[in-house]
Amino acid sequence: MLDLFNFYKELKKEGIIFCFSGPTSQAIVEGVGEALKQKMQVEETTGKTARNLFSVFVEQMQNVIHYSAEPIVLSENEGEELRYGIVIVGQENEKFYVLSGNYIEKTHGDEIEKKLLAIQKMDKEEMKAYFKEQRRKEPDALSKGAGLGFIETARKASEPIEFVIDQVDENYCFFTIKAVI
Amino acid sequence: MEKLLIEATKSSPFIRFDHAEHTLEIRGESYPENAAKAYAPMFAWLEEYLQGLQDDVVRVDLEITYFNSSSSKILMNFFDMLEDAAQAGKKIVVNWHYHEDNETALECGEEFMEDMELVEFNLREISDEES
Repeated sequence: MLDLFNFYKELKKEGIIFCFSGPTSQAIVEGVGEALKQKMQVEETTGKTARNLFSVFVEQMQNVIHYSAEPIVLSENEGEELRYGIVIVGQENEKFYVLSGNYIEKTHGDEIEKKLLAIQKMDKEEMKAYFKEQRRKEPDALSKGAGLGFIETARKASEPIEFVIDQVDENYCFFTIKAVI
Repeated sequence: MEKLLIEATKSSPFIRFDHAEHTLEIRGESYPENAAKAYAPMFAWLEEYLQGLQDDVVRVDLEITYFNSSSSKILMNFFDMLEDAAQAGKKIVVNWHYHEDNETALECGEEFMEDMELVEFNLREISDEES
């Protein structure tokens, strides 16, 4: 691929503001996060929308950093982690969305699905109660952070979060999640 | 023991804990990659401090404009430690500062306040005139 013009036009046509695919790091979260904030400010997006978008963006990016099954081992110590994934911020029907995807281990797929199906059924009050309950609990074995990323994303979204789990082979799935702000 | 002073980074807040003045202050944004690791020095300091605390009133000032979900867990653990100290008879006052335009920060403060019993938890609005 040499000429990116068509690819670029396609992204614009789809309302995609930002698209990142590759090894994701905390430095990218901070850098792109800053750019997103500036864009919001320039366009005078209301404070609440801008804050919710930034929050979901951070959760989704860090979700890729923590859980993608495609890591790059930088060093043996617990330094910066780098994992492959794709994160898109776009706008459709006047609403922002964050869409992200990464490989996951097949064994984790069922657990993620169960968690997200439960969250999808909750209203905002139930989400708040669940969030507060989980916040007081020890994180489950799969979690590297607090295990609160999905519920935090759902709370900031204006519509139920959507997800797809594609079967890849006997070891891996590809996980896609979408949150509309 | 010494004062705890941690400078802010892009994704972690400014922290100043003073055992002599009995003031704990956290200001800024919090979304580090590994929150447990980032806050380990703060918890180590706090544990030692609370163990040696006598009858002094502890004043906690927090102005956290944004925090991610794993930092939210860290803050809950922080408040739980303060609540345990309050249950043991210590006097702890938390001031949660939020900007008048930042209703998200207000809501987050309210959610922490709901989970506190003996810690005195105040929500303090910052208006543009003051700052």
